[in-house]
Amino acid sequence: MRHPELLNARSLFVRSPGVHRPMRAGLAPLAQATVFCMSLLLTFLFLAAPSYASAPVTANYYAYVAAESDDTVDLIKFGPAGGKLVKRISVGILPNEIEGPHGIKVAPGGRYWFVSIAHGMPYGYVFKFETGVDLVVGHTQAGLFPATMDISPTTGFLFVVNFNLHGDHVPSNVSVIDTVSMTEIAQIEQGIMPHGSRVSRDGRFFYSVAMMSNELFEIDAMTLAVSRRLKLTLEDGSGAVKPTWVQPHPTKPLAYVAFNGASQVVEVDLTSWKIGRRFHTNAGPYNLAITPDGKTLVVTEKSNHSTAFWDLDSGKELKSIRCTNKITHGVTLSPDSRFAFVTVEGVGGDPGLVEVYDLQDLERRAVIEVGKQASGIDFWKMEEP
Amino acid sequence: MLTPTLLFAAALAAQLSVKPEALELRVGETAHLEAIVEGADEGATVIFFSTSPRTASVTPSGVVTARRSGTAILVALIPAERLDAELYRQNDPGIRVEIAVTVQPSPLARLDIRGLPETLRVGERVRVHVVATDAHDEAKDVRPSLSVKDEAIASAHGFGDLFRGTFHAHPFYDRPRPDLYPGDASGFVTAISPGTTTLTASIDGIVAEREIIVVPNSVTSIRLTASQPEGRTGDVIHFLVEPADAPVRFALESHPDPSRAETMGAGAPAQILPDGRFVAEQAGLYTVLATSGERIARATVGIVPRDVSRELEFVGQAPVRDRISSDLWVWEGIDGRDYAILGTWNADGHALFFDVTDPSNMQRIAEIQVDARTVNDVKVTEDGRYAVITREGASNRRNGFVVLDVSNPRAPEIISRFDEQLTGGVHNAFLYEDHVFAINNGRRWDVINIEDPTNPFRVSRFEGKSPGRSVHDVWVRDGIAFQAGNTDGIVLVDVGGGGHGGSPANPVEIGRLPQLTGWNHAVWPFRSPSTGKFYVIAGDEAHPVNPRVPGPIIAWEERSASRAMGWIHVLEFEDFDEPKEIARYRVPEAGPHNLWIDWEQEIMYVAYFNGGLRIVDVSGELVGDLYQQGREIAKFYSDDTAGYVPNSPFVWGPQPHKGVIFFSDFHSGLWAVRFVDSGDRSSESMP
Repeated sequence: MRHPELLNARSLFVRSPGVHRPMRAGLAPLAQATVFCMSLLLTFLFLAAPSYASAPVTANYYAYVAAESDDTVDLIKFGPAGGKLVKRISVGILPNEIEGPHGIKVAPGGRYWFVSIAHGMPYGYVFKFETGVDLVVGHTQAGLFPATMDISPTTGFLFVVNFNLHGDHVPSNVSVIDTVSMTEIAQIEQGIMPHGSRVSRDGRFFYSVAMMSNELFEIDAMTLAVSRRLKLTLEDGSGAVKPTWVQPHPTKPLAYVAFNGASQVVEVDLTSWKIGRRFHTNAGPYNLAITPDGKTLVVTEKSNHSTAFWDLDSGKELKSIRCTNKITHGVTLSPDSRFAFVTVEGVGGDPGLVEVYDLQDLERRAVIEVGKQASGIDFWKMEEP
Repeated sequence: MLTPTLLFAAALAAQLSVKPEALELRVGETAHLEAIVEGADEGATVIFFSTSPRTASVTPSGVVTARRSGTAILVALIPAERLDAELYRQNDPGIRVEIAVTVQPSPLARLDIRGLPETLRVGERVRVHVVATDAHDEAKDVRPSLSVKDEAIASAHGFGDLFRGTFHAHPFYDRPRPDLYPGDASGFVTAISPGTTTLTASIDGIVAEREIIVVPNSVTSIRLTASQPEGRTGDVIHFLVEPADAPVRFALESHPDPSRAETMGAGAPAQILPDGRFVAEQAGLYTVLATSGERIARATVGIVPRDVSRELEFVGQAPVRDRISSDLWVWEGIDGRDYAILGTWNADGHALFFDVTDPSNMQRIAEIQVDARTVNDVKVTEDGRYAVITREGASNRRNGFVVLDVSNPRAPEIISRFDEQLTGGVHNAFLYEDHVFAINNGRRWDVINIEDPTNPFRVSRFEGKSPGRSVHDVWVRDGIAFQAGNTDGIVLVDVGGGGHGGSPANPVEIGRLPQLTGWNHAVWPFRSPSTGKFYVIAGDEAHPVNPRVPGPIIAWEERSASRAMGWIHVLEFEDFDEPKEIARYRVPEAGPHNLWIDWEQEIMYVAYFNGGLRIVDVSGELVGDLYQQGREIAKFYSDDTAGYVPNSPFVWGPQPHKGVIFFSDFHSGLWAVRFVDSGDRSSESMP
C-alpha cells in the first residue's frame, strides 16, 4: 500500500481551497473585469502561498531509522526541498534471517551511531557504526531482545534494555556497554520486559520502565546500581498499566512515562518519587519525546495510529494527528525544537514511514518511505542546505 | 554529593593516574586500584570498570578480582560533567586511563593418566587420557607430553602443544569446544615387546607416571579377510581378523587406478578405521595390513567407481519473481490431484498454492495472506485436509502459526490461529499425529494439539537447560522428536516412540550430540534399510560475510548473489549414549539448507543454497566423505534469468513426490525436475 502523500513535500504546502469571489452587480464592465482579474490574481497568490503560519525550513535535518523487518538502518533527510531517503545500510549478521534492528542511538557529538539487533542465537547484539560513512566499527553481544537504548554523555556508557519480548515473564536486565571498547561491562537486573529507556540530560541517571511488572527503574549511571524503583499504577493504585517509555524532562526533575495499557502519560516527580499529573491520551501511548526547550511533549499513540502533541506547562493536548498508515512507533526531535520525526511501522509488505511534523504549527510536512516496520529513530544532525 | 561545578572543574583540569599501573594476578586473587586525581578538584568521581569482566572484574570503587587466566583491560574514568558536542566529535567523553591486567592461570597441581589397562599384549594399542587439575580440582586445558622410559617395550604419542586452542567456527559464533570434545590431553600407547616400563605425562614440571606391563602376544598367527573382495567407492568393507581377540593395528597400501583422470594428483584415496572398516574415494587396488606384534596379515580388495550418476531433466517451473520464496510442501489432495504450498520471505505474509498434478504446467491457484512479513514454514497433515503455516514479523508482534483448511486448495480458508506464548516467531513447525511441534522463539519447541483444528491447545513444551540455548528445527519420526539447535546440536526426545515413557504431552530427552561447528540447522533421522543402521543426518546453515564489501550487504535489496557454507553431518546413533559423527557430505564453496531423505530409495535430497539441488546416494553403510566417494547422483542449478535475483540459484528446500523432485528456490519460486529414466509415478515418498 502506498500512502497518498508520497515524498513531494512541496505539494503538501498547498492545502487551502481555491477562493472565488463573485463580481459585484452594477460595476462597469471594465471595473468588473478588473475585479475579476484581481480576484484571479489573489486566488493564484493565495494558492501559491504556503498555508502554514510557521517559518520556512532553512536547514537540512538528518535522522537514522531502524527497519525492523528489513534488517536495515535508513538515513533520511528533511529540508527545504522536502524529505527523502538518503541511504540504506544493511545491519545484522545472517543474510537469510531477519534479525530485527530495533533501537537506534546517535552518540553525543554525532560521531557514531548504534543499533540494537533483537534476534540472535539466542542473544542479540549492539553494533557501532561511524556516521557518514556508515561502516561497522565494532559490536558486542547483549541479552535477549536488546531494544531501546541511550548513551550517557558523561561516561560514554550505552545502556540497552534486554526486552526479552518473547520469553518467559521473568525479570530481565539492562546491558551496560562501554562504547569505546564495545564491551559489555555490566548487566543490571530490571523488571519484567524492560522497554523504553533514557539517560537523564546530565548523564547521572538512567531510567527504564518494565512493561510487564509495571515499574519505573532508576539506575545510578556512575555506580551502575539500581538506586530507586517505583510501582506504576492507575489513580486508584491498581492496574496493569504496561509502561513502554520513560522520558526525563530536559531541565526539570521530572520524568514522563507512557502507560501503553491505560491510555495515559504520567508525570513522575523525581524528587518525591511520586506520580503527579496524568495526561489522558488516545489509545496506546508508546514512545515519548520532549523538545529541548522543555515545552512540548510528543507522544506516539500506537493503537490509535496517531501522534499527539502536548503542552507541558498547561498539561493540555494541543493536537493529535492520524498518521498516514498504521502503527505509530518511535519519535525523535530536532535540537532546535522545530521538528518531530515519527516512525510508522505499517503492516506486512508496507514500507515503513517517517512522518515529519512541524512543531510550530503542528502540521505534517513530509512522509518518507523507509524499510519495512520502521521502529527506532534518532536524530543525527542539522546542516545548511 | 559532588556539585556539577566541582565535577566540571575536575573534568577540565584533572589529570588522572592509577596505581598500580598494571597488575599481574593469579586466579582468585584480588587487588585494589587507587585513582590519583591531580588538578582543580582532587575529589572528582572516578569510576572503574573492566572490558573483560569474565577474566578480571573490578568494582566501581576499584576492587579487582582475577577470575580466569588471560588478559584484561581495566579502565578508570572521570566522567565529563556536561555534553560538549564539539569536543565529542573528536574525542570520547571523560578522562580515561587503562590498566592492563594479566591473570596467570592457577597453577597446575596434578596430572592423572587414565585408560591404561593393567597389561598390554604385544601389538596392542590403546587410547589414554591425561586429566589435568589445579589445587581446587578444577580441570585445566593443557597438553602434557607423553613419553615412555623404555621405547623398546612400548611407545607413546600424545596430542601435545600442537593441538592447543579453541575452535573458531566463525568470527561471530566464536565459542569454545562443547564439553563432549574437551581439551583432551590424550594420546595412545602401543605395546612393542614384553617387559615393564613407565609411561610419563609431564608439563610445566608436573609429572604423572603409570606402569606399563607388556605381556607376550599369545597369537601365533592372524588371518585377515574382507567382508567382500570387491566394492565401489563409498562401500564400507569390513576387515576381520582371526582370532577375533588378537590385538591388531591396521595400515593401508593404496594403488588408485592410474587410468582414471580423477585419481591423478588427488588426495588420500581411501581410509581404514581402527575398527577395521575400510572405505575408498577412488577406484583402485587396496591392500590392508593387519599387524599383531610380529604377525602380519594382508588382504586386498578391488574398488571400482560407484557410478551412481543419473541424468536429471527439467520438468517445469512455477516462477515467483516478485518476492522471495521460502519453504514448500507437496501433497496429494483429497480429490486425488497434487498440490503444493509455497511460503514467502520478508514480503507481505503470503502463502501461495499451486496445482502441480502436471508438474510441467504448474498453476498458481490461490493464495492466503496473513499478518506477517515471512511465512517461513508450511506443512500439511497426512490426510491432506489441513495445513499449518508459520508467522514471523506480525504487525502486532504476536506471531505463532495459522491453521488452514486446504480440503479445497483452490479456496484455502483460515480456520484458527495460535499465538499464545508463541509470540516470538515460529521459525519451523512439524506435524505429527494431530500435533504441531512448533519452534518457539528459537529457544524451545511447544507441542500444540490440533485434533480439533479449529481449537488448538498446548499440551507440552520442551526446553533444554544449557545457557544460551538456541533451537532451529524439529522433525518427528516414529515417536522421536529430533531437535536441531545451533548450540546444543542434535537432541533426541521421546514423544511416544523412544521407549522412555515419553509422549507429546511428556517429552523426555534420550540423547544428544553437540555440533562443533555450532551451525546446526536441520535434522533428518534415517534408518538404513540396506544395513539396519540408524543415522541422524544433521545439516548446517551458515553464511560468510560477503568479502566484496566491508560489511554485510542487503543481498535481496541489491539483487546480489548470496553464498553459504557448512555441510551435512552424518551421525551414527546406534548407541544413544555414545553417538558418533561418522561421515559428511560437503560441497565446496556452498552450504546446505533443508534436506529430505527417501528411506525406501535410500536417497538424500539436499537444498544446497548456491550449490543448487543435490541428490545423494546414502545406501549402505556411511563412513567418510560422501562427496569425494562419488555418491552424488545428480545436481541441478535453478538458474532463472528473470528471478528475483537473476541467475542465482539459492535452493531452500526439496521434496520428492510421485517420482518428481520438487524444490523451492529463494529467488525464483517452485521447480520440478525428474530423473530421465523415471517413469513410474505410483510410488509416493513420505517422510
